[in-house]
Amino acid sequence: MKITRKSIKSRVVPTWCAGCGNLGILRALHSALEELELHHEEVLIVYGIGCAGNEADFNHVYGLHALHGREIPNAVGAKLANHDLKVIVVGGDGDLYGEGISHLLSGARGNHDITVLVHNNWRYSLTTGQASPTTPRNTITKTSPEGLIEVPLNPLKVALSVNASFVAQGASSNFKQLTEIIKAGINHPGFALIDVAQLCVTFNKENNIDWFRNNIAELENHDATDWQAAFNLTSSDREKILTGIYYQNTETPAYHKQVEQLQAGTLLSQWQNEVELGDVMKNYL
Amino acid sequence: MLASQLMAKIAKRHGMQAFNYLEYPSLIRGGHQTGQVYADYENATCQQKALDVLIVYTQDSFELHKSEISEKTIIVYNSDFGELAPELLTEYKNRIFQMPFASWAKEITGTTLAANTVSLGVSSAVLGLDPKIAKQVIGDAFTKQEIIDTNLKAFDQGFVEAQKVIKPLFKFTPKEDNNILVSGNEAVGLGALASGMQFYSAYPMTPTTGLLHFFNEHKDRLPLVVKQAGDEIEAVNQAIGASMAGVRAMTGSSGGGFALKVEALSYAGTAEIPLVVLEGQRTGPSTGVPTWTAQSDLQFALNAGHGDFPRVVLTPGTVEEHFQLTKTAFYLAEKYQLPVTIVSDKFILESHQTMPAVKEKQPTQRYSMVKTEDLPSDESYLRYLDTKDGISPRSIPGQEFGIQLSNSYEHDQWGFAIEDAEEIKKAVDKRERKIKTLLAEVPQPQLIGDPGAQVTLVSWGSTVNVVLQLVHLSQTVNKKLVNAVHIPCMLPFPVEAFKQLTGQAKKLVMVEGNVSGQGEGWIRQQTGIEMDDHIRRYDGRPFYVEELLDLIQEKYA
Repeated sequence: MKITRKSIKSRVVPTWCAGCGNLGILRALHSALEELELHHEEVLIVYGIGCAGNEADFNHVYGLHALHGREIPNAVGAKLANHDLKVIVVGGDGDLYGEGISHLLSGARGNHDITVLVHNNWRYSLTTGQASPTTPRNTITKTSPEGLIEVPLNPLKVALSVNASFVAQGASSNFKQLTEIIKAGINHPGFALIDVAQLCVTFNKENNIDWFRNNIAELENHDATDWQAAFNLTSSDREKILTGIYYQNTETPAYHKQVEQLQAGTLLSQWQNEVELGDVMKNYL
Repeated sequence: MLASQLMAKIAKRHGMQAFNYLEYPSLIRGGHQTGQVYADYENATCQQKALDVLIVYTQDSFELHKSEISEKTIIVYNSDFGELAPELLTEYKNRIFQMPFASWAKEITGTTLAANTVSLGVSSAVLGLDPKIAKQVIGDAFTKQEIIDTNLKAFDQGFVEAQKVIKPLFKFTPKEDNNILVSGNEAVGLGALASGMQFYSAYPMTPTTGLLHFFNEHKDRLPLVVKQAGDEIEAVNQAIGASMAGVRAMTGSSGGGFALKVEALSYAGTAEIPLVVLEGQRTGPSTGVPTWTAQSDLQFALNAGHGDFPRVVLTPGTVEEHFQLTKTAFYLAEKYQLPVTIVSDKFILESHQTMPAVKEKQPTQRYSMVKTEDLPSDESYLRYLDTKDGISPRSIPGQEFGIQLSNSYEHDQWGFAIEDAEEIKKAVDKRERKIKTLLAEVPQPQLIGDPGAQVTLVSWGSTVNVVLQLVHLSQTVNKKLVNAVHIPCMLPFPVEAFKQLTGQAKKLVMVEGNVSGQGEGWIRQQTGIEMDDHIRRYDGRPFYVEELLDLIQEKYA
């Protein structure tokens, strides 16, 4: 059955704060899935732990609510098992840039055909507002009362440095563009990182709605096939955020396209009711 | 292939049982390395202390192996790097021989590479093995004809020269050979393939790296994806993802790597995702002594993971049991939708042992999975249906009307996260109910030898390889001296079966490879049974039959 914005909603009503950026991102994801005319059963979303991950209960498609930070390896395994699935990762900045950053690098390096949607609100909000890997320097949070000492992680730059084949920036406040970016990410035949700047009305008073209005704009006149241009764009201090597709390379085949065993069909479809071990055993006779 | 592995194969092709035990240091290459083969027409399940033939390459090696020399040992010394000290020649008069393996290899083949094959020829001659059979084994071990010819020549040189000066120790009549020679790693690999495993992800770590290599070697013959992951956490989570999506998946590591996977075990337990994990113990704690053995991760494996959840811990002994129990692991993991840990160790995972050749055609089937045609179109399917036996038929992504959420959070029947007290208890009880049915299906403890012995040894895992031979050997000394109980499944613990087997025991003695008595404590906790005594080893070495037998005779006979 094809997904509609209505049919994708589970019977659980979102528990996020009123005005939470996650609501906007979820709406954009639903629209993207509807517009792509995907079926409920062909979509698998792997969720992390955090505010964003709570989305697991709200969607009526196949779901795997993973461990904190480990959603990318789950998604990679699922995709290799059944590459006919559209595999999407939903997580947060603490999840995917903190606890699971090494998996993000592995996923990008392997060009696994999954779409990683990072709900980046510069805070650990489910645990009530500590600094996250993207929190700007000197920010005062519950865990940085004198101002944060670390420099923030620049996700787009990190992704580009390991040759992620699709790198984009969205914002929870720009529904229309975000829907298009998510669609492009899902259609992209390889690893797609979509960082979404997200409002946190409860624990991030700095990046509030006014800040979003004044500091986020759409990226214009950019050639997304030009890696160097994309890299240069990400080299700003991210105090002003430009949204759009920074980089897309459709030439590198996805990981599963380069695995010989998967050319005959999905791994799942190649299940055998009888395994032939004659050849394997020859080595040991 | 290693020279000792070839020797074990030559013995196997004579229709014998064989065991090849390897010792090597944690160095990139070189250092003191040994391969020790014991073979016989029966009961050759482990290595021996006293040697029939000792082949040594340097005087240092000679010193290291002096304690393994008996009055009958024939010693062949590689004289390429100088002559042996004259006092040694006197001490081992008439049974020590010097032969320049490398120089002969160079002379015959133009390179010193085949020096090992020269020594294989020497040891074959001394033991009285059939050179035709030995040469078949060499022919099968290499693919390039040129290399085969070189090695055959090298073998002949050693064989002929040894025959000139040393009388064969034995005379063997070759018998029919229906065995294969595999390491514990390879036996686990064969068991996984026979179970229809299609996804293996791992990070290299001694002593389980061999399994990662095994799957890579054979993946082209099967619909199998092998993934070297960025770390162990990634490895186990990739396997969980693949399993959730419907293929049989496995991961493997040693204690340190297993430690990193622990959080995911608990995840597989609560989300009810089938998972098979190999835990290959080595000398710990921490980085420990990487290439040496131990049985000191048992309590860790039994308790690995936060929270309560049903799981299985298997402790296979022989390589054949590694094959069988890996199949059992996949069956139990899928049927009961839980993690199964196979706890093994360096000793057996990296030793080679003979076992009956497995059937070429291995039938497989799926368990506890819902068929697409059985899914109700009104979307009423429940992933965590509260059933009588606790097993909820599992749908997988792609199935229409099977939409589900597999959840690491505590969840209701739909898979949605819950916090309601009554609902939480219901979910925990549902999973816990699986254990009752499961208990009837786990491998049972086995009695080795005759009932009514003076001493009953109790062991788990690879120690049984030594115990099997010990019980056999003790029969020649005293028929009623010792029998044994081997435990191939530690969790859930088969309490009744164990009580029955040990109920009549006169003296229970636990034999295990750790300092704190991990198995002994577990058995006491599970059954209330106190051992009368214990024998523990924790120096990186496996047990030796001779040492155990001496100890038993001294203490209990």
